[in-house]
Amino acid sequence: MKRLSRFFRTYRPFTRAGMQEMVAYRANFICFFIGEIMSAFIMYFVWKAVFLSSDSETFMGFTMEDMVVYLFITFLTGYLTYSDGAFSVGMEILDGSIAMRMVRPCSFEMCFLFQELGNRLISMTMIFVPMVAGVEIYRFCITGEVRFNLMYFGFYLLSLVFAYMISFYFNVIYGFMAFFFKNLWGTTLVKETLVSFLSGGIIPLAFLPTGLANVLNFLPFASLSYTPVMIYMGMYSVTEILWRIGLQIFWMLVMMGLSKLVWNSAVKHLSIQGG
Amino acid sequence: MRRYFRLHRIFIVQYLKRLMEYKTDFLLGAIGLLISQAFQILFIGIIFSQIPNLQGWSFEEIIFIYGFSLIPKSLDHLFFDNLWMVGYRIVKKGDFDKYLTRPINSLFHVCVENFCVDAFGEMLTCGLLLGYAIPRLELPFRWYTIPLLLVVVVFATMIYTSLKIMTAAISFWTKESGHITHMLYMTNDFSKYPVTIYNRAVQAIITYVIPFAFTAYFPASYFLTGKDPLFCIGGTVIAGTVLFVIALFVWNRGIRAYESAGS
Repeated sequence: MKRLSRFFRTYRPFTRAGMQEMVAYRANFICFFIGEIMSAFIMYFVWKAVFLSSDSETFMGFTMEDMVVYLFITFLTGYLTYSDGAFSVGMEILDGSIAMRMVRPCSFEMCFLFQELGNRLISMTMIFVPMVAGVEIYRFCITGEVRFNLMYFGFYLLSLVFAYMISFYFNVIYGFMAFFFKNLWGTTLVKETLVSFLSGGIIPLAFLPTGLANVLNFLPFASLSYTPVMIYMGMYSVTEILWRIGLQIFWMLVMMGLSKLVWNSAVKHLSIQGG
Repeated sequence: MRRYFRLHRIFIVQYLKRLMEYKTDFLLGAIGLLISQAFQILFIGIIFSQIPNLQGWSFEEIIFIYGFSLIPKSLDHLFFDNLWMVGYRIVKKGDFDKYLTRPINSLFHVCVENFCVDAFGEMLTCGLLLGYAIPRLELPFRWYTIPLLLVVVVFATMIYTSLKIMTAAISFWTKESGHITHMLYMTNDFSKYPVTIYNRAVQAIITYVIPFAFTAYFPASYFLTGKDPLFCIGGTVIAGTVLFVIALFVWNRGIRAYESAGS
């Protein structure tokens, strides 16, 4: 118990710093957010055109309403689970300031984690409620009934936390790659495109050929976004939800272990130029 | 003028030398852009596996418009990518002083300093898409099609670049404006699809306010159908010219307001 309270006392300032940073740069955040959400709206119009051109009410099992919920909740999930601690690791490796972190008496990735949590807390308050409300109002207008289900929503939040943790450790691992690549723009683009595809961000996994979809469903990437979104939409039964969340926990532990391994080997390779 | 062309060549050669040191990085950037476009095309492919046409547009036509939208985008990316850095970093760190002390136009210098070869990833996609679509479509081809295409591409690129110049120049007052550039720049994705799929408000915005529709859909639809040359081609020329004039004005006013970063 004492250790736990000490743990939180150590890292709480990082959370506060993350929150302050976010508040200070909220105009930047909002501009950035508007730029990003544009793509979700483009997809919305594309899907609307698809449903208008199609004779059937559903597209591979999705109705227009499902598609809209999928688009915007995927966007929201992607935004909240996005972790760019990796990028900071890369930058610090390039300019050598990582040395300072290694001499501090606190865990390297915990500092990033708590700082980012502070960050996410503020962005949550700014975008989470408006987006969920928007989606639910849209659903209500289309179907004429309240589709919001508190149980699914609760599971969604739980699943979101695990999705974030997987994303965080995955990106820490990726960040350590900077030890070997030394430059990040190109690799980040490749990584983000692949992750976005594999996690169903570009095309719902259900639209892919069954074999491929099954494999992707099991990989950690589906846990990043597809799983929480499907839970939100009420596509899974309760047993399936529990099974999926179990899978998320499994991948989270795998990623944590891997990040430790990579960290240990990366420290051996680290050379800092100048002083 | 000739001096500037010569300088531009020298800058590109210098940049390519720097690039040879980071070959893998360049390759990854180009591959990244290629993959991200490929997934989008896969998405369009999956859609068209279920429907015969998208509000009257065939698969080939959509691919043509999509491919066309990448021409000005990649050209702007290749030659004028450094403008992003003005809004994100250069002004904030006070590095802009450097450009003001040189005996060449500051805007020109900023633009040519970086030659962004990642854009070859987009160009390759563009070539593949147009190479796929054009033989399958019956495009009305006349003697002036090619010269007209060149003119349109120049002005469409100017639309992209001018918007970047304008928003980058805001940083002369605010120190940082990369996010504003990002916000406006992202609207360009609307131009990848026929504007007829959007509602009236969006159509009006991307035609008259942030005229990205003139970088792809309008000119591409002219080359597809041969209809409305005055609006489709003329509009691109006018939009490009007007934006460029405004951009120069804002940039020059901005430089007067620029006061470097303290200490």
